[in-house]
Amino acid sequence: MSAPMRDAAPARLPSERFRLELGGIGALTLLGLALVAVGPLLLDRYSVNILIRSFLYGSIAVTVDILWGFTGVLSFGQSAFFAIGAYACGLAFSHLDFTPLVAVAALGGGVVVAGLVAALIAWLAFGTGVSPLYISVVTLVLSIVFVQVIYAGGDFTGSSSGLSGFDTFDLSNEAWFRIAGVALVLVTLLGWIFVRSDAGRLLVSIRENEQRCRYFGISTSWVKGALLVVSAVVAALAGYAYAAYTDVVAPDLGDFQFGTMLVIWVALGGRGTLIGPAIIAVLIDFVSAWLSGSLPFVWQLVVGAVFIVVIVIMPQGLGPALAGLVRRLLPRVSRIQPTAARLAEAPTYDIETHMQMGHAPAAVEITGVARSYGSLHVLEDISFTGRRGELVSLVGPNGAGKTTLIRCISDGQERTRGRIAIQGREVGRMPPERCVRLGLGRKFQTPNVFDALTVAESLRVSRSRLERLSPWRRADEIHLPEAAMQVARATGLVAQLGTTVRHLSHGAKQALELAMVLAMEPSVLLLDEPTAGLTKPERTLIGGILVDLVAKHGLCILLIEHDLEFVREISSRIIVLHQGRIVLDGSVEEVVTSELVRTIYTGEPQAIGEPAAAGPGSDG
Amino acid sequence: MTDLLLDILTTAGILFVVAVGLLIVFGVLKIINFAHGGFLTLGGYAALIVTELNWSPWLAAPVALVIGLLLGAAVERLIVRPLYSRPLDAILATWGLSIVVVQLITIGFGRSTQFVLSPVQGAVPLLGTSYSLYRLIMLIVALVLGGLIGVVMQGTRLGLAARAVIMNETLAQSLGINSELVRFATFSVGAGIATVAGALITPLLSIDPLMGLPWLLNAFMLVMVSGTSLISLAAASLVLGGAQVVVSTYSSPVLGALTIVVLAAVLLRIRPAGFARA
Amino acid sequence: MADAALQIEHLTSGYGEAMVLRDITLSLQQGEVLAVLGKNGMGKSTLLKTIMGFLPPHGGTIRIHGTPTTGLSPHRLAARSVAYSPQDQAIFQDLSVEENLRLGLRSDRGFAPALDRVAGFFPFLAKRRRQAAGTLSGGEQKMLIMARALLSRPRLMLVDEISEGLQPSVILRMAEVMRSELSGSQLSILLIEQNVQFALSVAQRYAVLTRGEIVDTGLIAQPGVEARIHDHLAV
Repeated sequence: MSAPMRDAAPARLPSERFRLELGGIGALTLLGLALVAVGPLLLDRYSVNILIRSFLYGSIAVTVDILWGFTGVLSFGQSAFFAIGAYACGLAFSHLDFTPLVAVAALGGGVVVAGLVAALIAWLAFGTGVSPLYISVVTLVLSIVFVQVIYAGGDFTGSSSGLSGFDTFDLSNEAWFRIAGVALVLVTLLGWIFVRSDAGRLLVSIRENEQRCRYFGISTSWVKGALLVVSAVVAALAGYAYAAYTDVVAPDLGDFQFGTMLVIWVALGGRGTLIGPAIIAVLIDFVSAWLSGSLPFVWQLVVGAVFIVVIVIMPQGLGPALAGLVRRLLPRVSRIQPTAARLAEAPTYDIETHMQMGHAPAAVEITGVARSYGSLHVLEDISFTGRRGELVSLVGPNGAGKTTLIRCISDGQERTRGRIAIQGREVGRMPPERCVRLGLGRKFQTPNVFDALTVAESLRVSRSRLERLSPWRRADEIHLPEAAMQVARATGLVAQLGTTVRHLSHGAKQALELAMVLAMEPSVLLLDEPTAGLTKPERTLIGGILVDLVAKHGLCILLIEHDLEFVREISSRIIVLHQGRIVLDGSVEEVVTSELVRTIYTGEPQAIGEPAAAGPGSDG
Repeated sequence: MTDLLLDILTTAGILFVVAVGLLIVFGVLKIINFAHGGFLTLGGYAALIVTELNWSPWLAAPVALVIGLLLGAAVERLIVRPLYSRPLDAILATWGLSIVVVQLITIGFGRSTQFVLSPVQGAVPLLGTSYSLYRLIMLIVALVLGGLIGVVMQGTRLGLAARAVIMNETLAQSLGINSELVRFATFSVGAGIATVAGALITPLLSIDPLMGLPWLLNAFMLVMVSGTSLISLAAASLVLGGAQVVVSTYSSPVLGALTIVVLAAVLLRIRPAGFARA
Repeated sequence: MADAALQIEHLTSGYGEAMVLRDITLSLQQGEVLAVLGKNGMGKSTLLKTIMGFLPPHGGTIRIHGTPTTGLSPHRLAARSVAYSPQDQAIFQDLSVEENLRLGLRSDRGFAPALDRVAGFFPFLAKRRRQAAGTLSGGEQKMLIMARALLSRPRLMLVDEISEGLQPSVILRMAEVMRSELSGSQLSILLIEQNVQFALSVAQRYAVLTRGEIVDTGLIAQPGVEARIHDHLAV
């Protein structure tokens, strides 16, 4: 914000940084491939055997990390997808002759079943209004159901003892070692490129603040669902390879304990690091197999105990903890230059170009809207129209229902009664991401931002509906419309593009959210106290930008604000809410001189309307 | 038919006893204790020790209670307390603890399936049929335990403090309630109830180091659909446990084993509050 | 001279990086009522949360009856006869009226006479003691909050917007009760308010909080105070 511009050293461009990092990961990839190539020559037969399995487990750990570490989707059922792939192989080769056609059909079948089950799980867990915890519950149930289905399959599935001794691929252990090793390296590499790409940042933004993403018009359920399906497919492929190599499938491949073990490996290796979980998974599984002869239970005990200690004292996991240690020992190596994209002007947008001139519908039309929580009526009979080129301020004391009204306009599920149309189109029961696509932009009361992203990354995510995010690259330019650019410049955000949002001041976060919302190029802007926590000059400046948006670009702005002085300066119209009803709707002059408003604000004992009992906890 | 009804009632009772420790921990601490299964197993082995020492089988539950209270107290201090603000990590850490418990038991007692003595044997005539006395005792235990927890929660100062913490911890603190102490006591008691439940169910089944797992999963799903209410838990145990008995009897025990988790998952999808008041 | 009931010096506080309060210095003498006035979002509630130990201050000191209290947890402050009535979610909706009141005392001993005393102020409490508190009307809930705070005969009360959403007759009643509790006792009250008339009717001194800073303070007995405060708060 008004803080002095920080170091003027030019930040590295994302594509440069990306290439640099790609160099690093490329070297690591080559090292991995080299190890995979020479491994069978150096290792004894038993180690080679074990490592094949460990590599396959490592690949699934990577998918768990992408789901959980990056996107925040905690699945206990990744084991079930692995086992579906394994059983596709085991069942096909046990009951049919081993032919290339059967092998391919089994692989395809396993992948399709795993994908369909994942899609079903996604439909159950990522629907509107479903608790975020539900995905963990339902994947846990999936693993239980899987095991019981295998039990119930009798001789066909081999029940509790599983299937073994079926004909399978005639490949040497060395070949399997290389297949599994290359697969692990590739899955990790592709995963790494994806999470570092612009699209990958979207995963983190969903984890950090799914609500904000939905209000950028991003269908987060769809993103999470697609990710779950892809992860399931990768796990099923690994499972198929596992069964084809070991010649054994058993129900415990898909059980809850294995599913949870995968999560533990990811937590130990470091969520959100990909490489940490991959290495830890391989390491633990390999050592477990070695020690299972000499110290079978003690080793498990050690893993469990270490896991508890890591979770309690090193929540980021061993990988990042070690990296931190190395960085402290080698202080000069690690100075990473800040990275940030450049800002560029987006082609100017004008509401006029979106709309037919002349008989355009009202920007927002609200008819008889009410919202009650049980017997508590927060809003009653709200009707008004917001036209293009109007800045309408909503004022009123705490609990008047202002924020509830904004919520009703931007989420079709919220209101109890009444109709809302945006740009002439009915909101109906649309979820926020679809309301937003009607041209709505909403800024929340307290800064609603992505703490783990940088300023530039945040702006890019906010533009994702207008500019596709690449899943394998990082773009160097972010195109912002003039208004967003003005906010970014005037509040000093342009000098902090590479700064992680967590480290911004409160005021800068407010400005960032406003800039992000403006970057969506909305036609109707809902602003809930956009200047709370800002200094006087900053407020004036943002006020000026808002007035400009309305006058030059024909936006309709609905603004909640407590600072009546600010409201008076910029509004074209003021609506006064009190106890859930509109008590006054008029010009600035009418409202300012109104005795009623003075009474409402200073609480003089002339009652207004009926002396209702405002319930506790209802906000403004 | 009478047998079926009695099976339903006693199964509900057993499920209630097994899940109630998890429920009160979830209610007050807002975390899911995945070590609950490990605690159940521990209670089972406490009963085994009592059997091997040739003590009266009636001592199994008290011995298990002491072990559970002490262990719960230690675990709350060392593992759970640092994770209050990270409920998801608390699930994982308690699952890690569960692994540790299972491995310790395996090292101490081996992996084999073992049996413990039941304090009572045989069947009693009831409503024109003859029914397992021990299962009936479990039903009575469930009623007594539920009643006891109800009386403590509704009728004592401690229970009032616990309910205040459940409903609004911030407000409870500003009224002078030491919510850390309430959490500590609750976790310890929850662990104690879990070990007692483990000791009580063992005469009906065999014991092995992994015996706690299926119980944990059923208890977890029951708590998910019950929220923090004892009455909801009783209702969930009766309805879902009843469904399990019916499916096991008329279809197959394998499907029966799935009934609770699947029905609970479906219920949670349709009605996120489950059996609790929305 | 006796220690002040509450002495705040150079207090800075907020949530995370956001500084909501800047360099606040205030004192509240024993037996005194200080009204802190200001519009929404100016940091009034944050001030009480910081005093009560829910938010760690970023700087400055807080003393209650002469003892520094920074770092004490809320329940320890409550044990030192500090009664805090938050603005939001200040009652246990699903507990009965009586249970809500019982929680105002640290143990059940002495509850019956204390209940009689506060039921003297708000008679409906005795009649509806078995009713769930959430079913009371908004005004009754506020009276319950006030009664619960007074029940333990605290030495310092921190009251957040007790008059919000109340009808005038209830506000008058509330003011009366506070005045009668104050007379002849050592009770001191920090009153956070938006309702100027109510605040002026019980307080001896006032402070105006604007964007986290105290912009005006003075005695209420001065002439022209009301107009002056209105200037700070009004349009």
